Amino acid sequence: MSLTAISKRKNTKARIISGFMYSLCVIFTGFILSLLLWVVGYLIKIGWQSVTVAFFTQVQIPYGAEGYPGGMLNGLLGTLVLVGMAAVVGIPIGMLAGIFLSEYGANSKLSSPVRFVADVLAGVPSIVVGILGYELLVVPIGNYNGWAGALTLAFIMVPIVARTTEEMLRLVPHSYREASIALGATKARTILRVVVPSAAGSLITGVMLALARVAGETAPLLFTALGSRLLTVNPNQPFPSLTKQIYDYATGPYEAQKRMAWAGILVLISLIFVFNLSVRLIARSKHGTA
Amino acid sequence: MMQRAQTTLTHPSDPPAARPGPKPAGASVNSNPAENRAAASLPVVLPGVAPTDVHPEVDAETHILTVDNFKLAYGKRQTLHGINMKIAGGKVTALIGPSGCGKSTLLRSMNRLNDLVDGVKIEGDMRFKGQSIYDRNVDVIDLRKKLGMVFQKSNPFPMSIFENVVYALRIAGERSNARLDEVCAKSLKSAALWEEVKDRLHSSAFGLSGGQQQRLCIARAIAAEPEVLLMDEPCSALDPIATQKVEELIYELRGKYTVVIVTHNMHQAARCSDYTAFMYMGRIIEYGPTEAIFVRPHLKETEAYVTGRFG
Ligand SMILES: Nc1ncnc2c1ncn2[C@@H]1O[C@H](COP(=O)(O)OP(=O)(O)OP(=O)(O)O)[C@@H](O)[C@H]1O
Ligand SMILES: [Mg+2]
Repeated sequence: MSLTAISKRKNTKARIISGFMYSLCVIFTGFILSLLLWVVGYLIKIGWQSVTVAFFTQVQIPYGAEGYPGGMLNGLLGTLVLVGMAAVVGIPIGMLAGIFLSEYGANSKLSSPVRFVADVLAGVPSIVVGILGYELLVVPIGNYNGWAGALTLAFIMVPIVARTTEEMLRLVPHSYREASIALGATKARTILRVVVPSAAGSLITGVMLALARVAGETAPLLFTALGSRLLTVNPNQPFPSLTKQIYDYATGPYEAQKRMAWAGILVLISLIFVFNLSVRLIARSKHGTA
Repeated sequence: MMQRAQTTLTHPSDPPAARPGPKPAGASVNSNPAENRAAASLPVVLPGVAPTDVHPEVDAETHILTVDNFKLAYGKRQTLHGINMKIAGGKVTALIGPSGCGKSTLLRSMNRLNDLVDGVKIEGDMRFKGQSIYDRNVDVIDLRKKLGMVFQKSNPFPMSIFENVVYALRIAGERSNARLDEVCAKSLKSAALWEEVKDRLHSSAFGLSGGQQQRLCIARAIAAEPEVLLMDEPCSALDPIATQKVEELIYELRGKYTVVIVTHNMHQAARCSDYTAFMYMGRIIEYGPTEAIFVRPHLKETEAYVTGRFG
């Protein structure tokens, strides 16, 4: 019997298993990271030369015309406007639904049907939503238009935003709500001033994910906004979008346009990345905890 | 007053129905025949124990809060069995009793915080300054402004220290920055926290230690200027020095506020309360002046608890 205060580690089996698990984690993390780096690296390599000044300042110029292949200004602007309009409609509806589910849902018979519908909708393929948009918003109006595109994207956003909002608000400790109520705040005040701000960081992340998701959608836009070669922000007309333009270029016959499509993808991904990062930084500086 | 209390002491062997002593007119719960019946049919908690939840000295006070045969059940589980209690205005009343006996439940019922819990059923009533708390027409928001609460676990909001303290004023729509600053400083001083945080009022409340957070919560409750301060084991996470500060604070608050404090610390109850109620299994077993409860309790159960031999 040794007299040391703490006995030596003997349990080698546990140590081996723990070491093995740890290495597995490291290996797979490395795998995912290198996959990501490879995709981004490949994109930069192929698309970089085509990200020129013209890319941001010119619209598409047809083969043979002067200045061919032009740029993607119309698509870029179109996507920004489409996503902006979709956000204006989709984020409030989604967040309010999420707040309802989390804060008022417990005493309501409505909550479990709403949650079920949101889950089903979140799983519907976007092309199906596109066809719905076509039937409801294109056929009655008589032509492809920007409204239809934006609303279809909003429709895709709502269930995602609603469910993430619900999940994030549920993580806010019950004691915050109690403390606020005990100080004489109404339920609505408590939600607005304590519950939502406490979850602000993760709510913003959820909204960003939804925005990024719809910014990259192509299929629903094929049936609704259609796309346009013109530099237009008139939502009554067929509406340009970056993704649709990338799709056209990538599937077209011209080499210069194919390269432009790679550049478009690179720009789209960078935009989402920069947007995401800046919103998070702002949220962090504003709330201290993000 | 002491004199009368002594002449009207209830002896443990007295049957509860025959409590002696003159009762101040109009202030007695037992003048209500319905409640007399309820008290008479009360199942016995401890064999041979007859609750003495009405004490003449408490009776003689001006009551800010009265609890009338209040019963509460969480779902099927009855937690409070007919509580009768009168709380003296401007005094400190301590609730003591073993864990799970319903102290927090009783306290939370006083500002209707249990409304937030699903499946709570209540019976009976409580009155604040003579007005029913559980009446359907009561403005619960206003009630909660008048009965502030400090919780067992400190729960500052994820905001700056300043915003935490002035929360109640903000929701009341106070705009003047000068007034907010003034109330913030005053409340933090009352809670004995000002010196420690005056240089970092605008940093996050989460940067404070556990004890500082609890004092912040006290400051936050005081800033709302309630009339009654309900404190649920406010010192359970504090070190002796912080505890002493909070006790001094409670001592200073008396007169200006009515304080109801739940505590497991017998010394604390003895030190800083005027009246003490001993609860057991959802009932008030003995209630009276703190000195009487600690020095010469009527019931041996109370004595056993306060001396640490049971509970
Ligand atoms: N939200 C709730 N739902 C169901 N039962 C509850 C709830 N809160 C408390 N109870 C039950 O009610 C009883 C009394 O609880 P309470 O919190 O009032 O006790 P307490 O006297 O404050 O105890 P402690 O000294 O440990 O804080 C306990 O048996 C507890 O399990
Ligand atoms: Mg408790």
